[in-house]
Amino acid sequence: MNEDNDAFEKRSRALFQDSVEGLDFATRSRLTQARNTALDAAATRRPWALGWKMWTPAAGVTAAAVLGVTLWMGSPLHHQAPTLAEAQSNFEDLDLLAASDEGSADALEMLQDDIDFYDFADKAANPGPAA
Amino acid sequence: MARFGTLNTAWMVWDNPAPAREGAVLEYTRELEKFLAEIERRAFRMAQVALRDADDALDVVQDAMLKLTRSYASRPSAEWRPLFYRILENGIRDLQRRRTVRKRVMTWLPGPKEDPDNEAQDPLENVADAAPTIPERLMQAQAMQKLEESLRALPARQREAFMLRNFEGMDVAETASAMACSEGSVKTHYSRAVHALREQLGEVW
Repeated sequence: MNEDNDAFEKRSRALFQDSVEGLDFATRSRLTQARNTALDAAATRRPWALGWKMWTPAAGVTAAAVLGVTLWMGSPLHHQAPTLAEAQSNFEDLDLLAASDEGSADALEMLQDDIDFYDFADKAANPGPAA
Repeated sequence: MARFGTLNTAWMVWDNPAPAREGAVLEYTRELEKFLAEIERRAFRMAQVALRDADDALDVVQDAMLKLTRSYASRPSAEWRPLFYRILENGIRDLQRRRTVRKRVMTWLPGPKEDPDNEAQDPLENVADAAPTIPERLMQAQAMQKLEESLRALPARQREAFMLRNFEGMDVAETASAMACSEGSVKTHYSRAVHALREQLGEVW
């Protein structure tokens, strides 16, 4: 069994390495650009961002919790009882939304990044009178 | 005489500190660049496996590089790898959360239920490549594709443990540091991942 595991691990590692070496030129080039950007940016910190970070965590967690519970409760457009599979999926979604890790982007920050999307979603859900 | 010697040395350091500091910074930047160059392609592929999207994978890798260089570059270089992968995994999870929220919001909306991430998808992307390929490489690519699909089906922590231990070659302690968990948990996640993957791929492989 251990020998089989070893063979499996060796094969999967070799396949992965092969896929890494087979990366196309465009991807390699973009990775090099990303690396150079990161190294250039290392010297230029943004002090205002630290101030922003100080007050957002509490608000962010609250927003994420409210949003998570709202989503978990289900769509207001469909009131039928959820199946077991749906309930499980909802629970996994809630777990994913509520999880908070060290170094992870704050939930409020996440929502702000997607502000255009939520603006679109709001308009789509509440279409105004036709002009 | 000895006291003069000490003062003299101190004066020299005080008088001309910039070249020494510049040299140290240069050395340290080179080391950081070497580290990132060495790790970036594997990190990209791991992110791609988790996210199924090359552009998203590039974004999270670049973000992880930025966060590492801005916040943790002053840490000992031996800590960079677990720190980088912890940042990367957090980035992957954040992106998956965004997708989950979007997916849930989209189900509320009236009209056709489309995932906005797929709107710009080129229908030709799914057409098989007609270019001639070497059979062996084709088989390897297919085997890797199956492995990727099976990895995506694993719970996130198992996938993470498998990729860090097997693909990145980290030892248990380093993986535990990257995953912010105990070494025992790493062993459990890894063992379950290998078992599940072998069960799924056994017949194919």
